[in-house]
Amino acid sequence: MDKVEIYLPILIMVAVGALIATVLMGLSVLIGKRTRSKVKMQPYECGVDPVGDTKHPVPVKYYMVAILFIIFDIEVVFLYPWAVIYDSLGMFGFLEMLVFVAILITGYFYILGKGALKWD
Amino acid sequence: MLDFLFGQLVATHATFDVVTLSDRTTQALAEDPWLAAGYALLGLAGVGGFLSLLGMALIYVERKVAAHFQCRLGPMRVGWHGMLQSVADAIKLLLKEDIIPDRADRVLFLIAPVFSIIATTLGLILIPMSPSLQVVDLNIGVIFISAVSSFGVLGILLAGWSSNNKWSLLGAMRAGAQFISYEISVTLSLLVVTLFAGSLQLSEIVQSQQDGWWIWRGHIVGLVAFFVFLIASTAELNRPPFDLPEAESELTGGFHTEYSGLRFSFFFLAEFINMFIASALAATLFLGGWMPFHIGGLHTFNGLMDLIPPGLWFAGKTTFIIFLIMWVRWTFPRLRVDQLMRLEWKFLLPVGFINLFAAATLVITKLYFFPW
Amino acid sequence: MNLSGANIDFTLLLPEISLAICGFAILLLGVTKRGKDFGFGLGLFGLIAALAFTVQQWGTLETGFFGMVTKDGFSSLYNIIFLLAGIISLLIAQTYLRAKKIDKPEYYALVLFSILGMMVMASSYDLIIIFIGLEIMSIPLYVLAGFHRFNPKSNEAGIKYFIIGAFASGFLLYGIALVYGAGATTDLRLIAANYHSMAQQAPLLLYAGVALILIGFGFKVGAVPFHMWAPDVYQGAPTPVTAFFSVGPKAAGFAALMRILDFGFDSMDEIQSVLWILAVLTMAVGNILALFQDNIKRMLAYSSIAHAGYILVALTVGGEGAVASGLYYLLGYTFFNLGAFAILTILDTRDGTDSRFSELTGMASRHPFLATLLAIFMFSLAGFPPTAGFFGKLYIFSGAVEGGFIWLAIIGVMTSFVSVYYYLRVVVACFFTKADHPFQQVAMNPYLALALIITAVGALGLGLFPSSWIDLSRQAFASFL
Repeated sequence: MDKVEIYLPILIMVAVGALIATVLMGLSVLIGKRTRSKVKMQPYECGVDPVGDTKHPVPVKYYMVAILFIIFDIEVVFLYPWAVIYDSLGMFGFLEMLVFVAILITGYFYILGKGALKWD
Repeated sequence: MLDFLFGQLVATHATFDVVTLSDRTTQALAEDPWLAAGYALLGLAGVGGFLSLLGMALIYVERKVAAHFQCRLGPMRVGWHGMLQSVADAIKLLLKEDIIPDRADRVLFLIAPVFSIIATTLGLILIPMSPSLQVVDLNIGVIFISAVSSFGVLGILLAGWSSNNKWSLLGAMRAGAQFISYEISVTLSLLVVTLFAGSLQLSEIVQSQQDGWWIWRGHIVGLVAFFVFLIASTAELNRPPFDLPEAESELTGGFHTEYSGLRFSFFFLAEFINMFIASALAATLFLGGWMPFHIGGLHTFNGLMDLIPPGLWFAGKTTFIIFLIMWVRWTFPRLRVDQLMRLEWKFLLPVGFINLFAAATLVITKLYFFPW
Repeated sequence: MNLSGANIDFTLLLPEISLAICGFAILLLGVTKRGKDFGFGLGLFGLIAALAFTVQQWGTLETGFFGMVTKDGFSSLYNIIFLLAGIISLLIAQTYLRAKKIDKPEYYALVLFSILGMMVMASSYDLIIIFIGLEIMSIPLYVLAGFHRFNPKSNEAGIKYFIIGAFASGFLLYGIALVYGAGATTDLRLIAANYHSMAQQAPLLLYAGVALILIGFGFKVGAVPFHMWAPDVYQGAPTPVTAFFSVGPKAAGFAALMRILDFGFDSMDEIQSVLWILAVLTMAVGNILALFQDNIKRMLAYSSIAHAGYILVALTVGGEGAVASGLYYLLGYTFFNLGAFAILTILDTRDGTDSRFSELTGMASRHPFLATLLAIFMFSLAGFPPTAGFFGKLYIFSGAVEGGFIWLAIIGVMTSFVSVYYYLRVVVACFFTKADHPFQQVAMNPYLALALIITAVGALGLGLFPSSWIDLSRQAFASFL
């Protein structure tokens, strides 16, 4: 069961998902009627003509969230293998996890104190 | 009395052999290639049909539930009690005009809904619906599901960015931030179950709950993990009260403002199927999946429970959780962005870590609720 | 899982643990209102505690954590170098940071974490652990280089160092991967034992891997084809950070290089000719380009490149004697280079300074003591007796001659003659140039004085009693042969 073949159904599923989506979209293009007009093709901005461009910088707090995600989620994902063999690790595994999480929590309190999680 | 309830080892468990659809196909391949092809086609047709039927059914249920919460009747015209309303809507959406705005990035705009659909399909095929109804049983199932579910947010980000519309972009940014924030809590509560079960394989996790579902066996830890998982995955689904990415009163339609017709319905469908996946995952990990409800020592009762087919158990549990999520939707008002972030980073995250620590302590002391 | 061979002995890691705990404490206290002032004290405390634990470990030879951590004389001596560099640069930092209004507790925590990374680098035989140590060392350094947030030059230094550093880490990791491909191990002891079979089976992987590792560390120590980042980063970074840069990461890079080249790939003869070219280029380019600098920080940047070249000579020759002399030189370099930077830092605490040569004029009459110390450090950098610099070069070049690298020694001596010019330029500017405007007074405090005393005593002490120190480094090096 540990062979690579077990991922084959997943590969097929990706193809099938893409196929369903494309076929249905193609179908709707064939069936649906199309009329173009300049106003209709404008970006929707509550009825008025669109103002300015969309491609401008996004508030930095979104990047902060992304960076914090990297720190926390990726570190937490490291715990998966630990969790699977935890039973056989015993007390050693417990202590190691404690150290690991303690370091993570230190970082958590640091960013909390620094106000990185303030969203306004 | 306690001795009568919990003291004896449960001997009368029905045993379940897990056979996935991909197993069947592989086995058949050795004997009869045509049979294998038949299985494969059956699986594909099953998944495709399941996907669309489930989506329509869930949309119908949502409308009915919403209506009854608000003392209305909901859809009543098409079919008996409006049963065919979703079908009518699907046909309507198929016939609608597909608009690609002039300023949009055409390629990404077209790809985005496909991304969402693929991510959804991949999540679906791992769910063990009964011992014999599971498409593929990966040994890294839990990690795989959380990986593909975060694939879906890529579709949302792509949609929002490629539309070149301010509402869309804002919605997409919010969706991204919200998703990755709550992903941490989801991972932390998944870790608790992994810790209990000692495996990442979904079928093994289900079978590890033979003596008691993790929500009971893990004392309060399991319960806390269950609720953290529910809250966080509701937020990941962008469902109310966490529907900021598509908050219609602020952002028109959020990331799908510019989408119409079938492409819009893809996002819609993906959202509902994702709700099913999250509920099914919660049922599998915390409520025992297709495992019947057992009470230690009560042989007659357990035997009776075993008579109910596993598939029905799974369906019942999942339906219950879906109802729970819908209930939350029609009860609570929408959060503000800052409240949303505070809930995750200042409440759920610490709770998740404390809970993980408690779970580790439980496992090392072998203090499960059912001690045998 | 079998943990019997693990030897999980946390006392082995006491120096590292004390640094980590103090670093975390600084960070956590730093977010409270009143805890901000503890940064300096806690940082110093952590470094001194780590130094005490390291000295206590001196002479032991222990391996732990599945063979991932090795504490021997070599790692102890290097750890002492790192910790001394940390203590001195911390002593000179506070005054500077206060003067520039960037006194944040994070500075001290970052220095501690960086030293922690260096110590990890020096105390392992495993390439992966060395890489992890390198990353722990480098990432705080990127931040430190850009620590003066509102100064565009400091920002430039930070970004430049980050990009180049990330690039170098990539090279190094790629090299490690290729070596792993050749021998299916990252443990240098196994590599040394199986070297010949590896070289026979997968020579291409092995050579490409070692070349990439060499490039990666070449960036870190600032050897010549990979030195371009150094002058800009050294000039732009805050001066105490530059002081730390010129010693800490360089020593750590050499620690890893010595373990890798003189132990792991000791049997690889081809590496000598590569190192030969690197050493000659580094000495020549560093010394010659230093001649044309107007800025003292920039000049010292090129001079530190040149010094890396001298140590590369020791590495080229290889063997106990030569590498021990390289270690001795590194120890001395720590003192006299940090001393020079300490004085530069003191001068830079004044407003509107840019560490140019012209700013030194009139220093001798205003601050005779400081000027004399500066002269001593410059003499030591140039290699005049009886300073540590002289004996270091003497040992290195005589070792090269004994090892048969006569041309290398000749080129080395010639380039260090060139260096005399620009070092003496500093002394001339201090003592013999007429000042057209009065020298702006600098403020002294006990910490700065302590840093100057330590460095001066070190630079002179190592020079006055060279034989006992060279024996020490010989002992340290012998621990892994």
